[in-house]
Amino acid sequence: MKKVLLLLALLLGSLYFLSPPASAETFTCLACHSTMKGKIRTDKGVLIDVQIDEARFSQSVHGGIGCTTCHKTFKDNPHEPPKGDVSKSLSELAGLVSPKAKVDPVAYAACSECHGDIYKRVSESVHGKNVMEKKQSDGALCIDCHGSPHYIMPSESKDSSVNKWNIVKTCGECHDKEEIAKKYNLGTHIVEKYDESFHGKKYKLGLPGAPTCVDCHGAHDIKKWDDPQSPVAWDNRIATCGKCHPGANKKFVAAITHKPVGKHNPIPFYAEKGLIILTAGTIAFVIFHVFLEAFADIRDRVFRKRKEEPHD
Amino acid sequence: MTDAKTQEFQRFNVTFRIQHVILLVTFLLLAFTGWSLKYPEPALEHAGWWIRLWGGPKTAGIIHRVAGVTMVLDFLWHCIYVTYSLLTGKMKFDPVTTIVPLPKDVKDAMQNILYFVGLSETKPKFGRYNYIQKFDYWAPFWGMAIIGLSGLVLAFPTKAAIFLPQWSANWIWEVFFVLHSDEALLAITYILIMHFYSEHLKWENFPMSMTWITGKISMDAFKHEHPLEYELELKENPEAFKNPGNP
Repeated sequence: MKKVLLLLALLLGSLYFLSPPASAETFTCLACHSTMKGKIRTDKGVLIDVQIDEARFSQSVHGGIGCTTCHKTFKDNPHEPPKGDVSKSLSELAGLVSPKAKVDPVAYAACSECHGDIYKRVSESVHGKNVMEKKQSDGALCIDCHGSPHYIMPSESKDSSVNKWNIVKTCGECHDKEEIAKKYNLGTHIVEKYDESFHGKKYKLGLPGAPTCVDCHGAHDIKKWDDPQSPVAWDNRIATCGKCHPGANKKFVAAITHKPVGKHNPIPFYAEKGLIILTAGTIAFVIFHVFLEAFADIRDRVFRKRKEEPHD
Repeated sequence: MTDAKTQEFQRFNVTFRIQHVILLVTFLLLAFTGWSLKYPEPALEHAGWWIRLWGGPKTAGIIHRVAGVTMVLDFLWHCIYVTYSLLTGKMKFDPVTTIVPLPKDVKDAMQNILYFVGLSETKPKFGRYNYIQKFDYWAPFWGMAIIGLSGLVLAFPTKAAIFLPQWSANWIWEVFFVLHSDEALLAITYILIMHFYSEHLKWENFPMSMTWITGKISMDAFKHEHPLEYELELKENPEAFKNPGNP
């Protein structure tokens, strides 16, 4: 009996070691932050959610990282500031992302300590420049696409917001909004037009090869389409479309625009209208005819017994 | 004509019947697989049972393309066969037996509708093809030409782009896409309503007219539904009507 108990203890113990290692300091933080409910208003007047779902955090890709790795300073809250050192470049970056990061810009910039290369590409992208150069607060940075850094899952996971089968919805969070399209002079109904295209329909049906937003537009280094560096700039399209469509030429790459069919493009607009009239008209006539014919057939059967014609 | 009830008239030869069967099978395959692309339901969820029934998006796409090419080949075979038959005199143009729409068809349609509502005493006298049957022929004829052509463009877009003029590149793709999908919807609904009524639901054909398999119709139906052709046959080929089994 003792041996069995010992074995059980060993097994349970090994389970403990299999789970991601969390530092003692993380346990201390989570002691409060995993149970706190509701939101707290900071000194600057921003409402923040201070609860951390411990189970989801420990399963995320960052589950093994201690809190103070990113949260190096807390200027806005009652804690005693940790003694982590903030490098000069990190505090500069924190200043750049501050239009976006109202609470802890250092933590916001801390992604760059591990993901430096990607962070550099983002800061040169249209999303990054919008925050860091134009000082806009509604542009996308890391967590707008990837979700809270506490719960990031690997991109292969179905629960990841940047997983292939979630990314269109994630991009649509901003690009489906008319006010965003208006403010930045972007096309409207982009996601809708994608859904209607062959790419979008195949995506919806679950075809693994169907392209999503990022396959054509790029991800971290995304540029606006009229930027010559953008993969969907006119001069780059033959190469970009050619990834899936070898032999693509200039006339082929004009096919996808995400522009709604309207009066500015009269031929498809009126072709569609004409076809709708043709279809509706034909169907109306056919239904009309079939109903009358059925009525007459039944009437003839029941009331006008067909006379047997004399045999010749 | 002593035994008109058991006698039958050979309406379609075996070539036309095979062409019709190929058309029928490819049409259904194209409609079923194309439907899931026109109205896609996510295959990963419960709603995607229809696309999964066709083997998932990849397999359904292959079925759609193979069936499409087969239908186009069937269409070409039909066109070549009819042209050849006309040129060699195996088939002759006659206003009574032609499939070509004539002014008489408009008159027939009006008279028929008047008969349906009781404003005409008699049904119009039809030839080999009544106006609905002519419609039944030309609707898929133009449908196949348009859907087949746009389908080939959409299936081989990079190849098709070589032949497209530059000035059309900004709108023609949208047009091909709209043509392919809307014409297909028209074809499906037309077949579902008109063709199903006249060949399946109609009293004398229920549950199905066997003409598509045997190529024959009963002498009685021949006399009643195609009186002008009946009279023509009787005049031109009276011997055949005297020998049962060899009309």
